[in-house]
Amino acid sequence: MRKIIYYVLIYIAFCLLQFSFGKYINICGIFPNFILILIVYLGLSKGTMDAQLMGFLFGLTWDIFSTDIFGARAIMFTIIGHFLGILNKKLDRDKIYTQFVIVFLASIVYWLGVSFIYYIIHGSGNYNFTFFTLSGAAKIFVTAFAAPAVFYVLNYARKEA
Amino acid sequence: MCQNQKSRNSNVVFAVLILISFFFIIGKISAPVNFVKNLVYHIAYPNLDAANYIFCCSDEVGDNTKTMVNLRQENIAYKQKNQELIDKLRNYDAMSQEYENLSKLLKIKKINNITFVFAKTSAREPCEWYRWLIIDKGEDDGLYNELSVVMFNKDNDTLCAVGKIIETYKTSSKVMLVTNSFYTLPVEIKNKGVNCLAKGFDSNLLRITYIPQGADIKRGDEVVVSELSSAFQRGMRVGVIKDVTDEKSTCSQTATAEVSFGSNNLYNAIILVPQVDGK
Repeated sequence: MRKIIYYVLIYIAFCLLQFSFGKYINICGIFPNFILILIVYLGLSKGTMDAQLMGFLFGLTWDIFSTDIFGARAIMFTIIGHFLGILNKKLDRDKIYTQFVIVFLASIVYWLGVSFIYYIIHGSGNYNFTFFTLSGAAKIFVTAFAAPAVFYVLNYARKEA
Repeated sequence: MCQNQKSRNSNVVFAVLILISFFFIIGKISAPVNFVKNLVYHIAYPNLDAANYIFCCSDEVGDNTKTMVNLRQENIAYKQKNQELIDKLRNYDAMSQEYENLSKLLKIKKINNITFVFAKTSAREPCEWYRWLIIDKGEDDGLYNELSVVMFNKDNDTLCAVGKIIETYKTSSKVMLVTNSFYTLPVEIKNKGVNCLAKGFDSNLLRITYIPQGADIKRGDEVVVSELSSAFQRGMRVGVIKDVTDEKSTCSQTATAEVSFGSNNLYNAIILVPQVDGK
């Protein structure tokens, strides 16, 4: 029961953070992907099942709130949650270096994965590739830099729970 | 076995979720999917005002959380302090009991507590500056011979040994200073456990004698009253080592120490008066 309450609260908090507060706490329009950080955290701390289920749920929610391809984020978050869950015993999630590197790599995988789905569905399209690349790269770095802080807060919340 | 079962379940769930996502991607433009998506969007997504309100509230929540965390830390610190005080109180009870038993065995008067009598220096002869002084409190204030006299050192907020009363009159008393050549005080070097004797030198220096050979005494070491003193409380500051002389002919070292009380500023003194049973 406690676990469910914990997940519901985490879900609400991260949905609000990601979808409502972006306009307040962005840096030049670049905003960390808090949900991705959470999925990585869950993968490393809770294991495969929790991470992939929460990843799917968050991905689906994000897909509903966006006008992009429905299901693209759900599939990417599920995959990232599943594979990080497999690695959860092999990595020391308390090290800031590990947090940074794993979130960085997960962000790259996420970004490449979503871009690939776009490419498949829409074709090469007519988007500005340079801007898209720069924006994606900046998001990856901002997300990786925000990871230790989010991990700290989540660890604290976990201890309190 | 259990681990394998868990892993298998996890893989099955993963496959199911991937399939669902895949179907969502395939059916992206179909009407039912669009309908469900738009419906959920309109129900769940907070409008700008609501988001703004939530953000404002979150400031308050953040402040409250911060206060709670601070209070919690403060509470933990107080709990630790409380535990320390309880331990000290337990030690105090044991010591008090031991003191009472010893008092009974030795049949000595029991000191309940010590009161302080504050006095001013009323006379001090220039030619005997480091030997005596007269204070303006005497028998009328409950003073008697052999009471210890201390001074509050403002530089380090501690009490320093000054001397003892040797003559008491109705409204005045004569104090023999620790710097008097007739005065000898058992002392120790602070934190080194070296017991020795401090002898007056009729100057602002004390001669520290009977320091064992090989004792690690250095300039700047603090000299405090030792447990062997019957007049002063152990640990009370006496002086600071200025110089150490290693006399090869004897089995001990000698040092000189500067007295801690400002001899030239000795205008106020505190007399420690023990309150014994029956008084």
